[in-house]
Amino acid sequence: MSINLSEEIVPVVLEGQVVELEKSAAELLTAPRVKLKIDGIEVEMPRATLATDPNTGRKFPRLTTVYDAAVEAKVAVPVLCHRDHMTPVAVCRFCTVEVGGRVLAAACHRAVEPGLDVKTHKTSAKVRKAIGVLTELLLADKHPPRGAHLESERDELLSVAAELGIKTDKPSRFPLTVRDRGRDESSMVIAVDHSSCILCDRCVRACNEIRNNQVLGRAGKGYTARIAFDLDNPMGESDCVSCGECMVSCPTGALSNRAVVEAKPWIGAKPAATAVNADDLLSHPLFEGISRAFLAWNIQSVVRRVYEPGEIVCREGEFGSSAFIIEEGDLEIFLDAEMKHAAKSKSSQRTGIFGLVKTVVTGLAKRETKSPDVDARRNYIPIDAPVSLEMARPIATLTPADILFGEMTCMSSYPRSATVRAKTRVKLLEIQRNVLYTLQRSKKAKSMLDDVYRKRSIDSHLRGVALFADAITNNAEFNAFVESMRDKVKLVRLNPGDTVFRQGDLADNFYLVRVGFVKVSQGRPGGEIAIAYIGPGGHFGEIALMSQLLELADKTLPGVRIATVSALDHVDLVSIAATDFLELLSRYPTIRAALLKEAERRLDQNRALTKKGSTEINLGEFLKQGLMDAQSLLVLDLEKCTRCDECTKACADTHQGVTRLVREGLRFENFLVASSCRSCLDPHCMVGCPVGSIRRRSSREIVIEDWCIGCGKCAENCPYGNINMHPFPTGKKMADPNQPGRTIPVVQQKATMCDLCSSLDGTPSCVYACPHDAAHRMTGGELMTLSIRRADRLAGTKS
Amino acid sequence: MIVQELQKIQERCGWLPAEELRALSQRLTVPLHRLHEVASYYPLYRLKPPPRVDVKICRDMACHMAGAERVRAEVEMIASEYPAGSVAVDGVSCLGRCDKAVAAAVNDHHYVLSQTSESLRQLISKAYSKDPLPHAHWDMSPLGLTIDVYNGRSEYLAVKRWFEGMEANALLKELEVSGLRGMGGAGFPTFRKWMAVRGAPGQPKYVVCNADESEPGTFKDRELLRRAPWLVIEGMVLAALVVGAEKGWIYIRHEYPDGIDAVRAELKRAREAGIIGSNILGKGKTFELDIFISPGGYVQGEESALLEAMEDRRGEPRNKPPFPVFQGLYGKPTVINNVETLSWVPGIVLHGGSWYRDMGVKGATGMRLVSISGDVAKPGVYEAPLGQTLRELIELAGGMAGGRPFKAVALSGPSGGFYPAQVPVSELPPKFVQTKMPVGATQFDMLDLALDFNTCGEMGAMLGAACIVYNDTRDMVNQALNAVSFYRNESCGKCVPCRVGGQKMVEMTTELVEGRSPPGRLELMRDLGETMGLTSICGLGQVASNPVTSVLKLFPEEVEAYRKGQKP
Repeated sequence: MSINLSEEIVPVVLEGQVVELEKSAAELLTAPRVKLKIDGIEVEMPRATLATDPNTGRKFPRLTTVYDAAVEAKVAVPVLCHRDHMTPVAVCRFCTVEVGGRVLAAACHRAVEPGLDVKTHKTSAKVRKAIGVLTELLLADKHPPRGAHLESERDELLSVAAELGIKTDKPSRFPLTVRDRGRDESSMVIAVDHSSCILCDRCVRACNEIRNNQVLGRAGKGYTARIAFDLDNPMGESDCVSCGECMVSCPTGALSNRAVVEAKPWIGAKPAATAVNADDLLSHPLFEGISRAFLAWNIQSVVRRVYEPGEIVCREGEFGSSAFIIEEGDLEIFLDAEMKHAAKSKSSQRTGIFGLVKTVVTGLAKRETKSPDVDARRNYIPIDAPVSLEMARPIATLTPADILFGEMTCMSSYPRSATVRAKTRVKLLEIQRNVLYTLQRSKKAKSMLDDVYRKRSIDSHLRGVALFADAITNNAEFNAFVESMRDKVKLVRLNPGDTVFRQGDLADNFYLVRVGFVKVSQGRPGGEIAIAYIGPGGHFGEIALMSQLLELADKTLPGVRIATVSALDHVDLVSIAATDFLELLSRYPTIRAALLKEAERRLDQNRALTKKGSTEINLGEFLKQGLMDAQSLLVLDLEKCTRCDECTKACADTHQGVTRLVREGLRFENFLVASSCRSCLDPHCMVGCPVGSIRRRSSREIVIEDWCIGCGKCAENCPYGNINMHPFPTGKKMADPNQPGRTIPVVQQKATMCDLCSSLDGTPSCVYACPHDAAHRMTGGELMTLSIRRADRLAGTKS
Repeated sequence: MIVQELQKIQERCGWLPAEELRALSQRLTVPLHRLHEVASYYPLYRLKPPPRVDVKICRDMACHMAGAERVRAEVEMIASEYPAGSVAVDGVSCLGRCDKAVAAAVNDHHYVLSQTSESLRQLISKAYSKDPLPHAHWDMSPLGLTIDVYNGRSEYLAVKRWFEGMEANALLKELEVSGLRGMGGAGFPTFRKWMAVRGAPGQPKYVVCNADESEPGTFKDRELLRRAPWLVIEGMVLAALVVGAEKGWIYIRHEYPDGIDAVRAELKRAREAGIIGSNILGKGKTFELDIFISPGGYVQGEESALLEAMEDRRGEPRNKPPFPVFQGLYGKPTVINNVETLSWVPGIVLHGGSWYRDMGVKGATGMRLVSISGDVAKPGVYEAPLGQTLRELIELAGGMAGGRPFKAVALSGPSGGFYPAQVPVSELPPKFVQTKMPVGATQFDMLDLALDFNTCGEMGAMLGAACIVYNDTRDMVNQALNAVSFYRNESCGKCVPCRVGGQKMVEMTTELVEGRSPPGRLELMRDLGETMGLTSICGLGQVASNPVTSVLKLFPEEVEAYRKGQKP
């Protein structure tokens, strides 16, 4: 409510600061306080208070309203459309009060005046009746959000009804003729159910006023008015940035978290989940400071489960979307097959794209026997928990002091890195991504998790870092090392795409990767190229810090980053400040030597890369095509492929005459990535299937079960066009509308996609059928390696 | 800018394609949702390509009485002779041609159908073959009414009088003496409004003429705009001189193209004569005056909704206070007056306040223009002294059509509700019964009602500019459904009581008409009506239930018959 009366600007002192304001505004702010009565209670209020426009930063006087006075008088006036941090719009009329005059006034909008005698619903029968009718009206005109589990505390309309003593379980006095006003589930994050919307304008103000995102507005007019994104585009296709402010602002659940709307299979998992209400959560110190409204809102995203000793909480290799908070009891966390982690330890040591993807898929895809190049010195394996596991005995205990595990699976959709089993009777809170995401943003939770790291995780984590484990072999000495580091480490959390530092920045820290993957890249003429991917157990950032050492003096620029490092997924880093890092080097010559060796190796590799201009594989293109995420690409080597189409024919032969492979697609370097399922790590197609027929069974391939109803949602969601809709005969017949007396077969559309020929012996028919050895199945990482090798080979032949 | 820019795109493309809106968003650096909010709100704008022939038939009050539904069904039959989708037929809210019902528009050209669809057959055929459509011929002769002190000439003597040395206070004094009140329906004393704006802090100040006459049954301003536009222009210049404004707009509904043309021509003439512009009559005063064409909607006639439209937003009424006299257009003090109110001012300036005051009869003051429609012999615009009885007014309009008995009247379009010929004493305010009725009377004869603001106010009735008369064949429950549907159709949708209440009121009245009203429903309708009246943001929502609640109260036998499923 801005005042815009006079053009003269005068300085005034308010709340200890000098503010320049229009004269009339200044007069309002410095005006004597006014006395008024709310239900007979006298209160004294300022005419206006100083407010700041969240978008422009401009100061303006916010007129004190009757609602403010009612709060001061401790008289609870019901509100729906009003929020203290938003400009009052007074559209719901629930805060209606009597102020004398022909009609009632909206307390949230009416400015205070001296001597005003306000009667709220507590003292005025007229007001009580009016608010009652308005409540009944809205109740008769909206649906509960469809698909959502409705808790009365989450629907503010129901709360107001309860406060006013309006029975919501009785049939409405009004005719119930609510039409379906439509739903919009195009957004990955937020579902819109217009039939639950009461047009309170809170989401609109949240979007435009609070966040300045300028996407949401009201469309249409009168009874058919509704909220709309941009030019009434589907939310998912609009400029919406999914900040969620609208959702948190919605009083009725018309805008809700998709997790709430979708019936999630995890709710039904064993043991039975019990709901956890917001107050219960807030009593847990981890949730301190988190908005009660947010928790109440996301009530479906947290469940409590009790496990008896021996029960499995999650299994290594499973996909999931949740993390676990340990409330009570102890758990065992272990790797169930001895050899898998051997392969894992190998790959995560490597700094190459091959290592990155393989780390994730090993154990799922390749159950290979003992690899010959297992690094025997590796003692600890990093997992998705506060502890790392000892190689020799890959089992550890988790207790409530560890607070949380499973974050990486939850945030980045990686398979579970270890199996967790209840050791005693255990009480866990299973939380979904949106809640974890919020926790990670909470100061209190972050400091608790940092504490856990310092107290509990640092030991096993540092032991899992080969750099340290190799350098300090004496156990007592390692303990002393851990102690010395305890106060010097800081946890850094990054979102996908966040940059740790840029090439050319001044160096300040050394980093260890604890969770997730980072990309190391350099800007070169012709584009950015990736030099390395570094995963859990790896480290980076040492070169710039060590540049002052004599050994490196002429090899690199002093103190300046030579590459850019950014997060590929949700990443946890441990940072060590430059001074602490240098002290570490001087104290432990073995670490110094190892790091120096590694730094020299990296610099050499770097120089070699610079010389070989042909290795400038276009990383941007690689990422843009989503190849990073792919676990099983059908790659056709265009140097060998003769376009004979045997692969397509073989596919059709295998799948009831309908090919699931189209020998066309995006090209990467000299390879054609055919349109066939890639078994993405984070499959978009699985989101939104109404019957749950598209899913991962127990391994990596994604299958469409035969109960598919042909809605086409998955085909729409697959960013690579790898799912096709095909009509299949159902065996039924129907009358031919064009030729009476004859029948035609009934067909049903079903989605089809590559299943990697899982029903056969395991070799995809397309690869088997290729007479020219041009078709191969590989991961995105393997494709990258292949491309680099070929580029190098070409460079070799040229030079 | 948004409203005008959208109008330009629509003139160029025939509708508002998304790519045009995206380009406009870039050009004006306005977010897309802001454009869509505006574009999807106003009935003038099309978000889809228009059909080849777009026929709209008025569905409100007088047109409803004249058989709009039958006409529409006939036109739909005609449309079915054309390829599917090429001729669209739809209803439309009051077009302001109630005196010649049924009114219709073909591709935004306005016509009256004289109760048959035959004339439309030719127009549709013409429009389909893309031949130019004929313009309706409107009477451009002088009004011949007292209000036009210049008798059909554009003379601006009152402005000249001002510059001969009239003080603002002197003019305000004359206005006060005249007792001139707002003729848009609310009846707020004009001199008080002008004084408030004159005294309000803040610069600049604005003068806006509300020529968005859209209330069913009201068409008097249409005549003033077309046949005596100099009056409203001069009234605005005088208002600007009194309050110290240098900029003004005449906000005209787009369904009055004849009025827009007439005002535009007169503005040109006035500019040439030095009556408006940067140096009025060479005296150094400035007043720029332009037309603002409304993108449509009845609620735009609500003054704060009108300002919202002028400020490029959805034309939704503002919460009041603050009132426009203090925070009007762009938050500045603003005079907003109805066309007729402003048109009386030149006469008052020239002949004095007492000239206007003394035109009233039976103790009332002043004169007004009334639009009469429905079952009278000669529907039209009449000049009627305040204080005149309803009987005299109906006689002025040629008496009841066909000599049929008078059954009911709506004194202010749909907003004041319906009154029967005889109102039981039990339904009248005690003070009115004591002062206006003989002792012992059990019923009040509506035809005896003196039509002035005070008497109507005491009776609890509203005195608007639209008088719609019903004869004994009319079914009042049916009329109530028609009128309440108008409010539902025209609700802006901003506040809950009007948006949802209006819809529920229509649903419940439909139930009643269809004889399936469950027990307790009538009580709920009364409760809802009361709540809408008390809690709606603007006048539209506050009066929206009046057509229904008045019929429930004053036509109980008809309601009871419907409730029992025995349609009268």
